[in-house]
Amino acid sequence: MSTPMRRSFADRDDLVAYLREQFPAAAARDAAVSPIRGGQRAARERLARLNPVRYAATRNALDGAVTGLSPYLRHGVIGLADVRDAALAAVRRAADAGKLVNELGWRDYWQRVYRQLGRGIWRDREPLKTGWPASAYAVALPDDVAQGTTGLACMDAFSQQLRDTGYLHNHARLWLAAYLVHWRRVRWQAGARWFLEHLLDGDPASNNLSWQWVASSFSSKPYWFDRENLERLSGGRFCRSCARANECPFAGDRARLAQRLFPQLPPEVPR
Amino acid sequence: MTSTIVWVHGDCLAPDGPALRAYPDAPAVFVWDDALLQRRRLSLKRIVFIYECLLELPVTIVRGNVAAEVTAFAAAHGARRVATSDSVSPGFAAIRRRLAAALTVEVLAAAPFVPPDVPLDLRRFSRYWQRAGPLALQPTPPDAP
Repeated sequence: MSTPMRRSFADRDDLVAYLREQFPAAAARDAAVSPIRGGQRAARERLARLNPVRYAATRNALDGAVTGLSPYLRHGVIGLADVRDAALAAVRRAADAGKLVNELGWRDYWQRVYRQLGRGIWRDREPLKTGWPASAYAVALPDDVAQGTTGLACMDAFSQQLRDTGYLHNHARLWLAAYLVHWRRVRWQAGARWFLEHLLDGDPASNNLSWQWVASSFSSKPYWFDRENLERLSGGRFCRSCARANECPFAGDRARLAQRLFPQLPPEVPR
Repeated sequence: MTSTIVWVHGDCLAPDGPALRAYPDAPAVFVWDDALLQRRRLSLKRIVFIYECLLELPVTIVRGNVAAEVTAFAAAHGARRVATSDSVSPGFAAIRRRLAAALTVEVLAAAPFVPPDVPLDLRRFSRYWQRAGPLALQPTPPDAP
């Protein structure tokens, strides 16, 4: 048996210094440490603040009342049943916890699919519904996305937050993924690998299968968005300071955007 | 001399996880999988987060090849059995098979989100949720594991 690693540290800085020394390759790639703390005590503090009603009403907004429990769920620090039980205990009628429990359901669902597919989660589940052949997509993650230097204030902020904190709001993930796959036409696997390196909640099942959902290899149509959508849910915070606000690739009429992203598909029926 | 050790892995880092709860006095081990760390290029912040979780567990932390290290840990404690918590990952299944060559492996499941053995259609989330949704909105029964 190899020598046990240290268990006793003066404080978090002491722990981080030790881990930098023990895992030099990881530290050399990116030395960032998240403000999010590991452990069940931290998870229980979040669990005690659970507000399923506010969650349901505000979860789509970047500053909405999301739970922040995903890193703990991913590593089994707490279980889906624990969070469900806490949600039910925090509401008067079970239905008031319905949206939160539904979102927990996605994790349960992806885990079940993972048990069936195993490493197959790295391959397209179904053909893409974008009109583009798989060969039209680049294999590698573009440097400007990885470094956060696209000039698009929103995407650069998401890239930076991913690398600095290991956490992104669900919509930031969806927008960054859609930008990479549909605007930059990069294979979803490149983005999935990048997310797994950084996300504290990075789980091959939830991560890869959600990328496939965006890409349309595990859904009936590609997920994409427009500026109005992003601006509204982010309170306009990125667009205000964006150097490319006047040549925003997400702006404009939805039908025309769809035509530009997916020219081979029949025109979108206006809603 | 102990007859059972606990193998703690990254899919179940709860102090009250099923294996630690079933064997509260058994020596427990966690192994950093060096090959996996390299292959996945796991960032330092992920390592710090997992390490902070480990520091709340009564577990010896080592690094190397997971199956080899767990087997050596069992031998050092004179144990022939290893208990662990379930995981759906294929990496877990492979390590479990390797451990079974030398040890008796007991895999324990956490409290389920949806009662086990309910047949569920996994083709799309909507089909799955049609059946699972109403069951998931029930609290865990008090006699659950």
